Amino acid sequence: MSLNPLPIHTSRFGGCTLTGALSVTTHVRNTASIVHGPKGCTHHNFSLLHATGLDNETVTLPALISTALCESDIVFGGEGALLRTLDAVAERDLDAIFVLSTCIVDTIGDDVAAICCREYGVPVVIVPTAGFLGGTFQNGVANALCAIAGTAAPGPVNDCVNIIGEKNLEYEVEENYAEVIRLLGTLGIPVNLRFVHDITFDEIGMLGAARLNILREPALMPVGNYLKQRFGTPFIPTFPLGLSGTLSFVEAVAGTFGIDSSHAVEKERLFQRDTLAGFSDLKGMDASFDPAMSDPDGVYSSSEVAEALRMHMKKPGTSCVPLGPGTPVGTTGVRRMLHRWRRQLHA
Amino acid sequence: MPECTNPLWPCAMTGAAACLAGFDGLTVVIHGSSGCYYYPTTLLHAPLHGTFILEHEIIFGSEDRLNEVIGGLSGRGKRIAVITTCVPAILGEDIRSMLEKHDVILVDSPGFSGDVEAGYKNALSILAPRIGPDVRGVNIDGVCLFDPFYAGNVQEITRLLSMARIPVGTIFSHDRLEKVQHASPYTIGTNEDFASGIGEYCGGTLGFRAIGATFKRLGEVFADADVDRVFLELEQQEERIVRACDKYLLRFDPPSVAIFAGFSYAVHVAGTLEKYLDADIRCIGSRNAPGESKYPVEQVTGLEGVRSLIRQHNPDLVMGSSFERSVCEARAFTGITPPLRGTVRLAPSSFAGINGTLSLVEQVLNTCMDQKPVKS
Repeated sequence: MSLNPLPIHTSRFGGCTLTGALSVTTHVRNTASIVHGPKGCTHHNFSLLHATGLDNETVTLPALISTALCESDIVFGGEGALLRTLDAVAERDLDAIFVLSTCIVDTIGDDVAAICCREYGVPVVIVPTAGFLGGTFQNGVANALCAIAGTAAPGPVNDCVNIIGEKNLEYEVEENYAEVIRLLGTLGIPVNLRFVHDITFDEIGMLGAARLNILREPALMPVGNYLKQRFGTPFIPTFPLGLSGTLSFVEAVAGTFGIDSSHAVEKERLFQRDTLAGFSDLKGMDASFDPAMSDPDGVYSSSEVAEALRMHMKKPGTSCVPLGPGTPVGTTGVRRMLHRWRRQLHA
Repeated sequence: MPECTNPLWPCAMTGAAACLAGFDGLTVVIHGSSGCYYYPTTLLHAPLHGTFILEHEIIFGSEDRLNEVIGGLSGRGKRIAVITTCVPAILGEDIRSMLEKHDVILVDSPGFSGDVEAGYKNALSILAPRIGPDVRGVNIDGVCLFDPFYAGNVQEITRLLSMARIPVGTIFSHDRLEKVQHASPYTIGTNEDFASGIGEYCGGTLGFRAIGATFKRLGEVFADADVDRVFLELEQQEERIVRACDKYLLRFDPPSVAIFAGFSYAVHVAGTLEKYLDADIRCIGSRNAPGESKYPVEQVTGLEGVRSLIRQHNPDLVMGSSFERSVCEARAFTGITPPLRGTVRLAPSSFAGINGTLSLVEQVLNTCMDQKPVKS
């Protein structure tokens, strides 16, 4: 596809801010997300979230309510429609209402904050989103996480961690979480809160109770910094990636809790050695990485695995088998990636 | 317009894209944000392009960006169609003059202007179809990429026309672009919700009765047509349906049914199930504005309305999209309406034509029998 993107326009392809924010807000149970804009924007996102839920074997029917702006609202202003919708949704028995805006609403200049600051008898949380005007999908995720975090107050801290910013639309979201749980289990550390993945609005109040926040990926650093500022919670910037990344993750978590990690690290190292031994048939094979693999963390962790197996990696684009992109979470993620590599190499 | 919980139907921009992307020889560009681009791309499985505009272009104008994208797509032997989405539509830019050096078809189809059908019809009217008085054959209309049965419908109606030795005219909207200007004077339909309005309408192809009437008319129009072969197949296949349905009714009561679809498909389903299974059509929740019908019908635009109708009518069988499947609980379900998510669909299946009705009845019978308790 020829779109001639200029370097300064990389955000053109970063997806919709609204979708990113909804991937977060719809994971707070018994809440509704009002999308202030035409019906089509809400339908697009409802359909996408529904499809993603089905991929993950869950029947996901998040409550997305459109203010259903029509042409006259666009001409004369849509604040009345938002007020009417908020009044109607507040009648439902909900724990909170999230209000998200769209490109068109920011373009016509509706004062969303003024409408939302009225009393509705239920918490109303504004999430700054405006499609492309608000940034990218990732900005939407970060804005939603920070807006929701703003509803929680600091409190006493316990020996547990928060998982911050899981990719709720990711196909393997539960498997990645399970791998992090497994690694934390080797240190005896429990999870306080999956912020935000299938939680209640009340549970958000526990956000400040963790000793450590584990971010899903470095792109969430602004969220990590916001939480550090608000609750004083330090953070690890990413889930464990690849072989050495997994070992250093265990060490970093243990360090925060003042735990001796040597036993857990040694056990994980043995697990990694056994995992690699199961793929010794890949030793010496020629391959390259798919040019689509642009994430530096993914490239590093994949290269490390290839090197450990003594595979011969050529330049991307050469005639040998291109191995697909992957950011393997933990040693289990490495094993799944190696199964895919084996299939590709033996295809 | 009142608020809408979980809207079930796409916007006019998606409808315009569904129409234009069906024509080979046309490059479709969605002038708007990345969000407006990704949804139709994933829904229609068609090659679309986007301008992916940013805040900068809203403030300073989108002319440079449009020319950048259009310039990159020009010179490839295809005409370019630009669909404007909500934000560009209200900016007041004179897009036509911005793009005057390019041969561009401009379709103003912001999402707030209506639903998918409105966008489809608007886009097709801008293509300005023309009838070639000497063009032989019959056009097939109602073919929209948004419809999960469009490819199967084209195959099936082409098969029936071929059986009757009637050439296919222009397929609206899944054909070469130049054929839009050389349509046949006669048209038959596969889905009246996406009717083209081109030529003399000879009838639809939803259900055996409609197929029979339509081919009777085609036999009058085309003196050398061999429509008897179609009538023979109609008779044979209808007999198979009758036998299968009678066998079902020996053991089971007729199903009570709630149907959620575009009006045209919904009425066809209701008529078919009533005729062959004596089904109790409890309600039709039409996605679009309903026409007259002997069945209880109302327009349902959001998921709450679907839930409410199912609760109120308590049907055995729910027919609709994957949205309906998600709320129909343990009831039997058959997918007839987009989106049909969470299921693998590779082979084109039809809704129109003889095979379309066979497929519909087959699915309903299997679904209903699967739902009955198994003897221990």
